[in-house]
Amino acid sequence: MITAGIDCGAKNVRAVILMDGRVAGKASVPAGMDAASGAEKAFDAALKEAGIARTDVSKIVSTGAGKNEPRFTNDVVTEVGADARGIHQLYPEVRTVIDVGAEEGRAIRLDARGKVVDFAINEKCAAGAGAFTEAMARALEVPLEELGALSLASTQAIPMNAQCTVFAESEVVSLVHRKTPKPDMARAIHDAIADRIASMARRVGIEEKVALIGGVSRNVGFVKSLRDELGIEIILHTDPEFVGAIGAAVVATDQ
Amino acid sequence: MIEKYKEWYEARHEYAVQWKKKTGGKVLGYFCTYVPEEILYAAGVLPVRILGSHEPQSVTEPHIFAMFCPFCRDCLAQGLLGRFHYLDGIMISQSCLHLRQAYTSWDLHIPTQFSYYLPMPHHVQSRHAVPFLRAELETFRKRVEDWTGTTIGDADLRRGIQIVDRNRELLRTAYETRKREDVPMSGLEAMYMVVSSQMVDKAEHTQVTEDVVRVLEGRSAGRSGTRRLMILGSENDDVAFVDMVESAGATIVQDDHCTGSRYFWDKVDANGGDPLTQIAERYVRRLPCPTKDWPARRRIERIVQFAKEWDVAGAIIIQQKFCDPHEIDIPAIRKALESAEVKVLFLELDVTVPVGQFKIRVEAFLEMFAGDDLF
Repeated sequence: MITAGIDCGAKNVRAVILMDGRVAGKASVPAGMDAASGAEKAFDAALKEAGIARTDVSKIVSTGAGKNEPRFTNDVVTEVGADARGIHQLYPEVRTVIDVGAEEGRAIRLDARGKVVDFAINEKCAAGAGAFTEAMARALEVPLEELGALSLASTQAIPMNAQCTVFAESEVVSLVHRKTPKPDMARAIHDAIADRIASMARRVGIEEKVALIGGVSRNVGFVKSLRDELGIEIILHTDPEFVGAIGAAVVATDQ
Repeated sequence: MIEKYKEWYEARHEYAVQWKKKTGGKVLGYFCTYVPEEILYAAGVLPVRILGSHEPQSVTEPHIFAMFCPFCRDCLAQGLLGRFHYLDGIMISQSCLHLRQAYTSWDLHIPTQFSYYLPMPHHVQSRHAVPFLRAELETFRKRVEDWTGTTIGDADLRRGIQIVDRNRELLRTAYETRKREDVPMSGLEAMYMVVSSQMVDKAEHTQVTEDVVRVLEGRSAGRSGTRRLMILGSENDDVAFVDMVESAGATIVQDDHCTGSRYFWDKVDANGGDPLTQIAERYVRRLPCPTKDWPARRRIERIVQFAKEWDVAGAIIIQQKFCDPHEIDIPAIRKALESAEVKVLFLELDVTVPVGQFKIRVEAFLEMFAGDDLF
């Protein structure tokens, strides 16, 4: 059976072609102002990679903040439901999944059948999401891709408040004035966001094993801070941004 | 005719202005449902509830702490912005510190003929609560007599009780019909019905509700196949929020709000004895607000009973940010509901509701039930 999942996120649209439970094609394009055309492009690119035509796909399910935008999909599933199904397909042993995307952080607890038991989503604030690291990288004048590796060289922990992105940025400025080494500032940023994400995850109850997905899980500095904060091992997927789209494609296999 | 409630809700201020013109009577704005409306009706005064408008505002910052609830600030803003310009008086009965701040600040900055603080006892479970409140109601009666230049005799009080009780009875009858599998009214319609009863003359509201109750007998709200939910919290007249929940595939069939069941569920039932004692008994024994629900928690028993009798699958707890009396009860409510196999979704509200952000939580919550059917 061939199905497709389209994850229309705040920043990027991801499409996945699932062929008998295996990812046969995937693509990611920036969401831009028009999620519908972004979804078309991502879907076509994923089809191309899988070497199949639209007519070969029996069902398409969309998810993400813009899930109702594409007109070619058959059904929708919430971001929470898609994450749960996706991670259960990839790692059936996972009971807690943490998803940190561009503008949203989520924690979801699953049972042994992959069913959502409880979930929490960050409140009206960017401090628990990828947008926070972007703003901080800008303040440190470091490319976002280097922020993670930089923090691994840190030698000391510096407490920083991440209740508000703007205030955090002014804290970074104060650290800059005090000539704090950049790696320590980078670590302070990742510790702060990890604190926020960990407290959200604790609200739903952390049960091992724990998986981290979403684009921010590519940031090695954040992953280390979260591991240290939770004191447990965290499963990472090679394509962390595609788990939601995979989940949507799994939902599409339901009769 | 059921649409009348929405009209009243949306034109609450115009209604009160017209009512004054028509009757020449006085209008009193009240902050809390522990205010004895029976005595006001006995004096021919129209009590209207002061509620917020769910819009961002910038006028209350000098008067109310930022860590007080958004509702009390929203209420005060309505006064400072002149939306209740027609009020002849205001009053509060002791409920919580935050709302009392809104009342005292209003009293300080917006002059009215009449302003009254009724010391409603907190410890309603004390055996002294009824005699205490009766004595306070006696004082209140005298103050209202002085203000309005009328005499409020026992016969007037009984008439006041009868007006308010009849309305309560009908609202309860309407709520009872929501037990049906094919619900005759949506949660949004029920919200308009109860909240408008706090804004218009009860005699007029009762007249419409007599007809509505008859119509509900054979009515269907066309909501079969949706998930039955109840909604809990302090005050809630957030129609945009309820509309969002119901358009996501749920129907709200029962509530625990002071703009809902807590307001009207219990009657006075005057039986020829001393009416002030009977009114005092009603407010002491009514479905309690959490500020008054101690040491025993009576409210939680009632919530679970409602959940069972109205056959709900889930409950949404909406919490006004910084409302401690409600927040303290949440772990106990959650535990009680979950052990009765009712799923719980917790949402924290501010003055404006981020409908988009809450929508994904509500949709994911509803998806959890769909999962139950699947597995």
